Amino acid sequence: MKKILSGVGVALCTLTMATSMQAQAADSPIKGNIRVVIGSSSTGGDTYQASSIIADALSEKLGANFKVDAVGVTAAFRALERVSNGSTIMVFHDQAYLGNLYGQKGYDDPFEKYTVGQTFAINPGNAYLVAKNSPYKSVQDVIDAAGSGKTVRVAIQPGGVSEIGYTAMKNAVRLQYPGMEDNLAPLNTGSQSDKNQAMFDGLADVINGSVQANEQYTRLPADDQKAMSFLWLTAREGTVKQANPEGMGGTSRDDLMKFVAPMVSVPMDESKNFTFDKEFFFIYNKETDPKIIAAMDVALEEIFKEGKVQETMKKSFFIPDFLPSNESQQYLMNKRDQYAKIIESLKK
Amino acid sequence: MEFLALLSPEFFLLSAAGCLIGIIFGAIPGMTATMAVAVCLPLTYSLGLHEGLALLLGLYVGGISGGLVPAILLNIPGTPSSITTTFDGHPMAKAGEPEKALKICIVASLVGGLFSAVVLFFFAPMLADFAIKFSYIEKFLIIFFALTVIASLSKNILAGIFSGLLGVLLALIGTYDTSNGGNGEYRLMFDFMVPYLETGFSLLPVLIGLFGLATIFEEAEKGIKEEDTHSQIKLKGHKPFHFGVFKGQISNLIRSSSIGTFVGMLPGIGGSAASVLAYSQQKNLSKNPEKMGKGAAEGMVASESANNALTGGALIPLLSLGIPGDSTTAVLIGAFTLQGLQVGPLFIGEHMDTWYSMMAALLFANFVMFGAMFFAIRYIAKVVMVPKYILYPIIIMMCVIGAYAINYGIMFDVWTLLIFGLFGWLAGKIGIEVAPLVIGFILGGSAEVYFVKSIESYGTLSIFFTKSPIAVVLWLLILASVVFSILMHRKNKRLANQVEEANA
Amino acid sequence: MSQSLSSLFEVSIDFDQSHLFFPTIVITLIALMALWIVAANAKQWVARVRSGELRLSPFNEHADKFRFFGTLVLVIVYFWSMDAVGQLFPNTGMGFLLTSIPFMLLLSLLYVHGITSRVLLGIGLNSIIAPVAAWYLLGQLFAISLP
Repeated sequence: MKKILSGVGVALCTLTMATSMQAQAADSPIKGNIRVVIGSSSTGGDTYQASSIIADALSEKLGANFKVDAVGVTAAFRALERVSNGSTIMVFHDQAYLGNLYGQKGYDDPFEKYTVGQTFAINPGNAYLVAKNSPYKSVQDVIDAAGSGKTVRVAIQPGGVSEIGYTAMKNAVRLQYPGMEDNLAPLNTGSQSDKNQAMFDGLADVINGSVQANEQYTRLPADDQKAMSFLWLTAREGTVKQANPEGMGGTSRDDLMKFVAPMVSVPMDESKNFTFDKEFFFIYNKETDPKIIAAMDVALEEIFKEGKVQETMKKSFFIPDFLPSNESQQYLMNKRDQYAKIIESLKK
Repeated sequence: MEFLALLSPEFFLLSAAGCLIGIIFGAIPGMTATMAVAVCLPLTYSLGLHEGLALLLGLYVGGISGGLVPAILLNIPGTPSSITTTFDGHPMAKAGEPEKALKICIVASLVGGLFSAVVLFFFAPMLADFAIKFSYIEKFLIIFFALTVIASLSKNILAGIFSGLLGVLLALIGTYDTSNGGNGEYRLMFDFMVPYLETGFSLLPVLIGLFGLATIFEEAEKGIKEEDTHSQIKLKGHKPFHFGVFKGQISNLIRSSSIGTFVGMLPGIGGSAASVLAYSQQKNLSKNPEKMGKGAAEGMVASESANNALTGGALIPLLSLGIPGDSTTAVLIGAFTLQGLQVGPLFIGEHMDTWYSMMAALLFANFVMFGAMFFAIRYIAKVVMVPKYILYPIIIMMCVIGAYAINYGIMFDVWTLLIFGLFGWLAGKIGIEVAPLVIGFILGGSAEVYFVKSIESYGTLSIFFTKSPIAVVLWLLILASVVFSILMHRKNKRLANQVEEANA
Repeated sequence: MSQSLSSLFEVSIDFDQSHLFFPTIVITLIALMALWIVAANAKQWVARVRSGELRLSPFNEHADKFRFFGTLVLVIVYFWSMDAVGQLFPNTGMGFLLTSIPFMLLLSLLYVHGITSRVLLGIGLNSIIAPVAAWYLLGQLFAISLP
């Protein structure tokens, strides 16, 4: 018995020593195993993909081991709150503050409660679509229809990225036909499959979707009940321009450009068009050592200078978009304030 | 044919390796096929599309199949969809015939897997068009249909329905999730629970808590008595497995495989419904329904053929609509996007090579699964001979890993294990039936979404009857299922009374 | 007639309150079922409790409370300490490895009947090899997150 116990003791000591030695090996403030929690629980989604690309690049650059854990929004924020030593960091996109703006449960103001860090990529795919045989051929058709008193139903997932474009269209109706904005009615659904289904069932006139998930539907012949057309891509012109010329699937970049402002205009106010880029960025615990964030700045700067990560991103239809932490925070706050104004103006 | 050039030895090697790793993942209580695919997803990056898919499809087939091993030997479903395998598989193993039970299930798995692969190959685009005819209403009715299994499954019909409803209620705890179309509000919990239960209880920890940990608590209460050697003698003394057990099971095999393929094909129904539906239909149509749940081969055949038929079924909407049919195929999407490829309605036509090579990998993986498991059985079955004082600590440890890892590292999921372990231990004593409860829990979430969304969209209850011919057919099936189970309970009561009288 | 019948079926759900719609139905059904069960069995239960046939304690008559509560305490300590130790060595799976070994050892010792030195050796080896193997294969090789 004693022998076994002492054997266990020895084994434990060796293991503990081995790990602590491993941890001391590198001198950088970022070392060992870093857990990257993301605000999505899907490993097939864009957040996971974008995070994996950047995590791989960081692992290679820093000789550390970045691992992406798709724990979902709530769990990700909780994990981040708990660990301030930089061994857990978070990656999420605009949903982080949009959820807060839309008053969703479980969303605190990320700029207040956490340290918002570097942006690194954009998914330019956020799109609105109609059935190919729809009477609406453009966003303006939709706005006019709502303005003339017709109810137009838009399938969205409420409370965030999926809703923001709908909010913008509603705001555009308000600007052009004051008082008629409620004719643009939301149809609250969840997954992409539910949104598509809502269109097939005739429950929705317009659906939120993405270039990635819906591009093939837009190439179906018009007599196929599944056929769809793009109405609007919310991304900025400058963003889509950076995509590879092949675009996505059978739709070239130039074809995609036809659905982007200024070709499609959804006015935000008298002078400006509304655009929305779904940007991915890092979020840190408030107490995180600034040295760690600075080291991440340096590492990402170098990664993007080398240019390899950009190619990987573009191959997967992401647009590289690096801003160091001091710039990104201000930038994202401005972005948030812009959208806050629109959401506020539609509140009753 | 160009795709033949893609079928290199590495291609088959990866498919086989995937299958073997999948079986191991599936066979460990708490590890699932989804987890196996998710874990190996990053590997496919360096492999290239076709090799990567071969690996992942192997993992998928292996993972779904491996679930039958702990279901039979330990009464713990290795993956959620093997829950109905425990109903008959474990009683048979307990009666001293674990090898036979395993073999029956493996053969049924192979049939289900091949059946669905063939359906996938020949009818994918057509069936996808059929699948989109199922709106909220038809999907709700299918789930309702699956819930009627509770009536025929329960020992005491009142207690069974009560337990089922309790399971549904447990599934509703947490947020009415916006990603399912909800409004993101909390319900059924107190403020202090919010940080833990915001996303509700996770299925897998609940399942292995109720089946795994609860059993250990029960045994601990009994004092962990090692069964004497007679059970080991039994292991040898029985008639060996013979393909004769499948006599009269052909229609069962075809029906259950069809149900599995069909349920897999409908996005949003959830894979576990497949085996539950197949099992209940078999019970309704069986000549000896009273034997089911006590080690009947037909129950295992129904459950396993349906749950493996899920694989091909779930790939149908993935490859012809770009929409995953279950949680594992949802991860599989990542493999395509990692390679810069999108699945969608034009995918098969534009990527014939990929399509053919996927089919080759799928078929091959099914045979590897069969070969590997059929011949490893005599060793696998020995698990029942491991003394409990060794086995139980290992089970707890593996359950902990599974629970912690299922949502990529959440400690509350581990505590969920304990909560439901204790609950399961207590439930048996106060007459709550665990099987109906679990089925209610599995189906509760989607039942809510589709029910509420149906009413929200159409504003009337009558739509459930008038929406489409499909809805009418589903109502007839539901009615038949309910009538069958009432008749069965009556018959059982009569039989029990007769036995009592005879004894008196 | 048909008009009034169809209006009978009409239900409108306010989206803001839709999270309570289904739970209310389920709770109502559960309450009804509970009443039904009590009504159907109450007499029988009371009679059985009176006759002492039905015991109100959750434990069986010859329950091994030592092993039961031993299991419970060990599991609670195991879960709690795993998380705590894991915090000391973030993201290495050490919390799992370092607590699993003593947990498995103690649980096996709690469960075993008739200790011999061979049995003891088996237990000792198992409680070291199993966690190390799981930690290495799943945690390191497959990069599964462990506490």
